[in-house]
Amino acid sequence: MAASFVEQQPHDALPKTNHDELARQHFVRSFKQHLVSAVHPGLKVAYEKRAKVEFVAEHQREPENISEVGKVMRKDPHYQAWSCLLRTSQEMMWSSAQIPVQRSLANLAESAQHHTNDHGSLSLDPSLVIPAYHRAVDIHCQPGGYHTEYIPSDVAQGAIYDRGVYIYAMGQMGRDNADMGDSTVAWLKQEHPDFEPTKILDMGCAVGHSTLPYAESFPNAEVHAIDVAAPMLRHAHARARAKGLPVHFAQQNAETTNYADNSFDLVVSHILLHETSSKAIKNIIKECHRVLKPGGLMLHVETPPYEGMAPFETFLFDWDSENNNEPFWRKSHTLDLDELARQGGFTEHAPLQLMVPSAFQETQRTLTFQGGDFGGGGVWFVYGCQK
Amino acid sequence: MSDESAVKLRRKAKGKRPTYFSDPDVDRLLSMLMALTGELSVTRDRLDTLERVAAAKGLFSGDDIESYELDQAALEARGKRHETLFGEVTRVITSALEDLEQAPSEDYQAVVSLVEDDDKVAPR
Repeated sequence: MAASFVEQQPHDALPKTNHDELARQHFVRSFKQHLVSAVHPGLKVAYEKRAKVEFVAEHQREPENISEVGKVMRKDPHYQAWSCLLRTSQEMMWSSAQIPVQRSLANLAESAQHHTNDHGSLSLDPSLVIPAYHRAVDIHCQPGGYHTEYIPSDVAQGAIYDRGVYIYAMGQMGRDNADMGDSTVAWLKQEHPDFEPTKILDMGCAVGHSTLPYAESFPNAEVHAIDVAAPMLRHAHARARAKGLPVHFAQQNAETTNYADNSFDLVVSHILLHETSSKAIKNIIKECHRVLKPGGLMLHVETPPYEGMAPFETFLFDWDSENNNEPFWRKSHTLDLDELARQGGFTEHAPLQLMVPSAFQETQRTLTFQGGDFGGGGVWFVYGCQK
Repeated sequence: MSDESAVKLRRKAKGKRPTYFSDPDVDRLLSMLMALTGELSVTRDRLDTLERVAAAKGLFSGDDIESYELDQAALEARGKRHETLFGEVTRVITSALEDLEQAPSEDYQAVVSLVEDDDKVAPR
């Protein structure tokens, strides 16, 4: 079950939606809710009563991995219908968020440049090469990806993403889509009450949904946030200013930033690592180590690794890797994270791998993650290490 | 998309679109059906807004709509509209029967040849 039908917190950087545009977005949210609550549960039934039975009849044993589950589930009519509907809901979600942005793009881009305050900063680098793992397919099926620009000073992809994520999460990440940042901050405050970071870096910040909780909760810290996509950063900056929070946004690749060695107390990312590549993830961990002060903390918020999950649950959890343009999803969920940290230079302390409860109180704590509803788990997986 | 700006956003995400049914046309039909359901929901929401605004302005309420009784003329007008609607929606199915009942349509290529070649001099 999702949270009640609470709307996104409005802010000046979001486009104004007319009646039917909003109704279209509300339909997609209800559609997704229906898939989660009424169609998804049938997958287990279809597996137990039909697909698994077929596999056992042929092999005299149960499926042991996602490939074997997939072999029989891909032929199952309920799985086929659910997959087709989920993929369609994802496409309709982006479409419903695109419509008002396309209609008012010139105004949005214009108003993003004018603010009533001068909080934070925005530093763009038009020469930055968008990495291949970002360009090859449009992540999460958002047409144009994070980086496409249609007009000068474009904010379209950021404005679409801001709204799309709210519809995607069905409100379960809070009115500001801030649950990943909020939950990590809450964990920090509880586990490390004396930790007073003076400089914080958020890598792969997109529109800053997870960045702003750090600016809010550590008002004495200088908060920096980077992403490779200019339209995300322009929207992020406009949004942060609209909310009166100072963040320094910069267009940089997390693999090779221009920050000085030993300069941050805290480096975080939120669902960044699984959007990269085998090579990039190693570079990012190394870069975290380089820019952290000795004793500083690296924290990456993700969904949990596959290890220990039953084959059927893993198969469903893996849906995005082939069906929602998440090419690194599967590999990133099976990495040896402790080894990754050591290779990155984190050799002084033991790496952290823990489940952090969602800070958003309305979230139902299902403790499960499923395709189309990753905001609904009620917990986040946090991976990190102290330098 | 209706738009007042000249910008046309990309509508297709880069990356091959997966299909799930044995016939990919079923995937396309189901997606269209959901889009249609979405537009129906948008229209229904607009009616809901209309009723709420009317009630708030003291014009009429949802109860007025529930208790409204159709007279004979209204019933017949609606029946006619439904007939037109079904005729349009099921056109591709019902019109195909005309060929069965009447003479089958000529082979289309034969008609193309007929109009393309009707200037050619018949062989003696």
